[in-house]
Amino acid sequence: MREYIVRRLLYTLMTLFAVATILFFLFRMLPGDPTAQVISPALDEVAQARLKQAFGLDQPLHIQYLLYLKNLFALDWGRSFTSSRKVFDIIQYRFWNTIFLMGAGMCLTLMVGIGMGMVMAWRRNGPLDLWPTLGSLIFQSAPPFITGLLLLMILSYRLDLFPTGGMRTPGVQLTQGMGLFLSWDFIHHLILPTLTVSLYYLATPMLIMRDSMLEVMGSDFIELARAKGLKPHVVMIRHAARNALLSVVTVSSILVGFAIGGQVIVEQVFSWPGMGSLMVEAASSHDYPVAQGTFLVLAIVVIFLNLLSDISYCYLDPRIKLGDR
Amino acid sequence: MLPRGLKEFLATQARIISRHKFGLFGATVILAFGIIGLIGPLVAPHGPWESLRDANGKLAILRPPSSEFLLGTTSMGRDILSQMLYATRTTVIIGLVSGLISILIGANIGLISGYYGGRLDEVLMRFTDIIYGMPFLPFLIVLIALFGRSLWFVIIAICCIVWRTSARVVRAQTLAIKQRQFVLAAKARGCSNLRIIYRHIMPNILPLLLLYTAFNIAWSVLAEASASFLGFGDPDNLSWGGMLYSLWISGKIRTAWWWFAWPSICIILLVSALVFVSRAYEEVANPRLQQR
Repeated sequence: MREYIVRRLLYTLMTLFAVATILFFLFRMLPGDPTAQVISPALDEVAQARLKQAFGLDQPLHIQYLLYLKNLFALDWGRSFTSSRKVFDIIQYRFWNTIFLMGAGMCLTLMVGIGMGMVMAWRRNGPLDLWPTLGSLIFQSAPPFITGLLLLMILSYRLDLFPTGGMRTPGVQLTQGMGLFLSWDFIHHLILPTLTVSLYYLATPMLIMRDSMLEVMGSDFIELARAKGLKPHVVMIRHAARNALLSVVTVSSILVGFAIGGQVIVEQVFSWPGMGSLMVEAASSHDYPVAQGTFLVLAIVVIFLNLLSDISYCYLDPRIKLGDR
Repeated sequence: MLPRGLKEFLATQARIISRHKFGLFGATVILAFGIIGLIGPLVAPHGPWESLRDANGKLAILRPPSSEFLLGTTSMGRDILSQMLYATRTTVIIGLVSGLISILIGANIGLISGYYGGRLDEVLMRFTDIIYGMPFLPFLIVLIALFGRSLWFVIIAICCIVWRTSARVVRAQTLAIKQRQFVLAAKARGCSNLRIIYRHIMPNILPLLLLYTAFNIAWSVLAEASASFLGFGDPDNLSWGGMLYSLWISGKIRTAWWWFAWPSICIILLVSALVFVSRAYEEVANPRLQQR
């Protein structure tokens, strides 16, 4: 198992490296002056020349590439064109906002999905099975901006139950550190975006849980547990669900793929100050250093989550052939 | 007249889909959208960008659905019915082109990787891993921001990413089929590798390929709608996502429910139709599910 994990880690590093390389070439393949992507054309010529030298843009491409990698590791990701603040600082400020929203969405999805999946398998082919299936498939087919806008239109504009966006009410006293994430005002703002992403992700874990529950319920050890005279809900939760959970973990990497895209959209709809909305802002105002940095961080999040689901899978199911995927 | 092979193929597909209640519904919806995409712009009562006036000569701004404007008008007095008809064509083009190209790439990478194995497999699968490391929507946004908002860049960006899932799944299936007797027999008879791959293995994973074609089209439609909603669509080719983007930036979302409803309903309808069809194929591709 250790060999497997080491190998996975190695692949992860390779992937990271490859993504950084693709990004380098992507941002330099542009039509026109490639330096315009790193240095703001609005600066005067002296400043431009100085920056050119700092980024090595007067050098041949392979030297530029090495410099790019060096700057990447040194966390010197350039300055924003629009605010001329350091890219890394901007991203750092936004990073936790995204992670928090994503984490809340994932937790809610997994809790509801696993719970509902169990109930659906229990009430197989009944209304409690069919309606959630149909509903979750429809919400998965709806891109999150539709769900988000619908929730906004009904719950915020019509019924005025929730704020229409942002992370806190303007003018509310800022609490420092973790206190911010625990204040009622923050949670009030968090509910709608979390609900939106959860509805979008829900179908995958829920339907997988249902199917794998049905499969597990046919096994001998469930029969045995029943024969022992255990109560049905004990059999369901303690015996069947624990084994069925495994396949939910397996597909969690699919969930990760969904998660980032959903995140970008939801942040935009609810003006959540995270990396997704930062990326959209940067890309539409042609603020290339920020766009590049945000993309890289989002890619790192995806790659890291994929690694996590791979490792947890291998940890949970010793039956998989180690070393082989 | 259709050639006999194709006719048989279509008959089989019709049987698979119609066995499944949801599948039949899905196929009907997809077909309907296809037809609208084909003829839509020809029957549209107005141009998509035309600002309309009502009988009194006033600009028809934000009119709810009525007999004059069947689906209502936008804040610029544009006819939503006409916009929908044009937008359907854009979506159909993007869905079909990028769905088909991405299944072509994914299926070939999966087949070759699974069949040859060894170093080639290693290289191709590591490459697939790298693509899995790319966040899809951000990649789409960056590519369009860098190269310009055009339909073709949207399609290229989608194709670059969407093939990855089909490649992995096809590879896994190829690995299983490669061990079967008939493949060994073909090898013993001296069939070439390419012939084995495309004549012996591929027909056996056809349901899987069709399942993922449907998925890939669905993903493409979703991706295009999302990118357009974020303002990264082709400004010359209106799409459903693009209509919702105009609504969002006009700030009229509090009142203009009709402007929100029609494009949203169409996106959900088309994507869920594709999902339903893919579920019909899932039962054929994965016979274990049939007993459930």
